Amino acid sequence: MTVDVPAIIVSGVVLASLYAMMATGLALVWNTLGIFNFAHGIFMTLGAYIAWTISDEAGLGWGLAGGFAIAVATMIGGGLATYGLLVKPFQNRKDIVLVVVMTTLAGSFFLENTGRLIWGPRLKQLQRVVEGTVQPLGVSISAHELVIIISTPLILLALYAFLRWTRTGSAIRAIAQNQDSALLIGINVPRLYALSFALSAGLAGLAGALLGGIRFIVPNMGSEPLLKAFIVVIFGGLGSLGGTIVGAYVIGLIESTSTYFVGIYWTNAVMFAIFIFILIFRPTGLFGRN
Amino acid sequence: MADVLVVENVVKTFGALRAVDGVSLSVREGEVFGVAGPNGSGKSTLFNIITGIPFHADSGRILFDGTPIERMPPHAICRAGIARTFQTETDFETLSLFDNVKLGTVYGHARGMSEEEQRRVTRETLEFVGLGGDHDRPAGDISVFDKKRLMIASALATKPRLLLLDEPASGLTRPEIRETSALIRRLSETGVTIVLIEHVLPLLLTVSNRLMVLNFGQVLTEGHPKEVVKNEQVIEAYLGKRGDHGRDAA
Ligand SMILES: Nc1ncnc2c1ncn2[C@@H]1O[C@H](COP(=O)(O)OP(=O)(O)OP(=O)(O)O)[C@@H](O)[C@H]1O
Ligand SMILES: [Mg+2]
Repeated sequence: MTVDVPAIIVSGVVLASLYAMMATGLALVWNTLGIFNFAHGIFMTLGAYIAWTISDEAGLGWGLAGGFAIAVATMIGGGLATYGLLVKPFQNRKDIVLVVVMTTLAGSFFLENTGRLIWGPRLKQLQRVVEGTVQPLGVSISAHELVIIISTPLILLALYAFLRWTRTGSAIRAIAQNQDSALLIGINVPRLYALSFALSAGLAGLAGALLGGIRFIVPNMGSEPLLKAFIVVIFGGLGSLGGTIVGAYVIGLIESTSTYFVGIYWTNAVMFAIFIFILIFRPTGLFGRN
Repeated sequence: MADVLVVENVVKTFGALRAVDGVSLSVREGEVFGVAGPNGSGKSTLFNIITGIPFHADSGRILFDGTPIERMPPHAICRAGIARTFQTETDFETLSLFDNVKLGTVYGHARGMSEEEQRRVTRETLEFVGLGGDHDRPAGDISVFDKKRLMIASALATKPRLLLLDEPASGLTRPEIRETSALIRRLSETGVTIVLIEHVLPLLLTVSNRLMVLNFGQVLTEGHPKEVVKNEQVIEAYLGKRGDHGRDAA
């Protein structure tokens, strides 16, 4: 049997790119607020549906660029609303982590069903950003996938630069490290919580719009990537954004390799086995702090 | 002198526990106001509700320079001119001493400072608290004494008019306590008003102009430090009914 290594790598890196965008947002919220947002997957779904409604001829037909822009903008608003309604009211509670699991899960079920009502059960697909295939380095790959592969690191780099070199970004990192100290030195913590949520939801919306060009858009299309994003964040190491990004690429490549050899149905089992195996030896994940 | 801080009848409960139970006090411009009291008497909780970090009072009024602040968000209280330190170490462990303090100059002000000004104020502040030497060490690596002074420096970097210190001397050696005491005096001479929580009584007695004692969330007594420590109730609160050990503690 000949192994099609380039195909495995390409599909692995495409998956990895989407996981990286999803997981980075999830990790950003975890690092700053100390909670996991279970509604993160629905931002992806809604991003795809909204981009479709705006851009598709069956919808408003305003073009793909408009679709992407409005999808991301709406999700930024969605992130702010999720924070304000489902997280902020509970933030002074000791059991905030558990409460927010409930509230965000509830919010996500609610939105998923609302989506089903609005867009119906029929599968939809978004136009591709670029049509056709290209052959860089002799490997045949769809141009849309190449856009995903190239734009993801650029977007994550921009996020890194924002967190690293801007005043607001440093404040977010300060909160992630010590919330009390951040309050102490006059940082407006609630505002930056909202901003982290907005950024995270915007990224998920973008990931959804990109995924909508290669997979069918269905009301639960965000669940699988959300699950993978959780694995990525824990695998990469809680508290480390860099670890999350490396983790995304490792998990993406493991998934595509496993899909190639054992098929799609066994892949999740294989991934969890590897995931658990690694956590036995490195309980804090690849780059986690204690 | 004018009252910088006026606290009127503040209450903070945790379930059935009344951690701060109707405390009133006023702090005059430029003084060092000491707060003593047994463990769990509500001292730190009082600081928490004054600064809004991490929670506000359930009821009562707090005036800073005559302006009510009991519902202001913490960052606004900080920018208005109140800074505090915590009883436990709070710093940004991966950042250097310099960057820790600089963050205070960046976010803690009502008006912005230029980068140059930030660096100058940071350097001066570190020097002032006695951490002038090696600024570039990560805050995670330094001694308890250095951490205590770093917390004070971070608070000072926000240029407060009122500084709340929560047990700055706990866990320190005798010579370090003497240095802390000197530092608080120097601070006071710069004109900043100080409220000081402390278990180390000699320190509290030497630097405070007035002393308040809390017990079970209520004010037990308040007055001149020398008088307060002679108070029978205070001795009892600290040592139980057998007040005969009171002399040793003071
Ligand atoms: N966040 C909280 N949740 C529940 N109870 C609290 C909380 N913070 C403080 N308490 C309780 O309130 C009471 C007062 O606590 P506080 O920390 O103010 O005491 P303290 O006078 O500072 O004591 P110490 O000298 O030990 O620092 C204690 O019984 C404490 O257990
Ligand atoms: Mg205390």
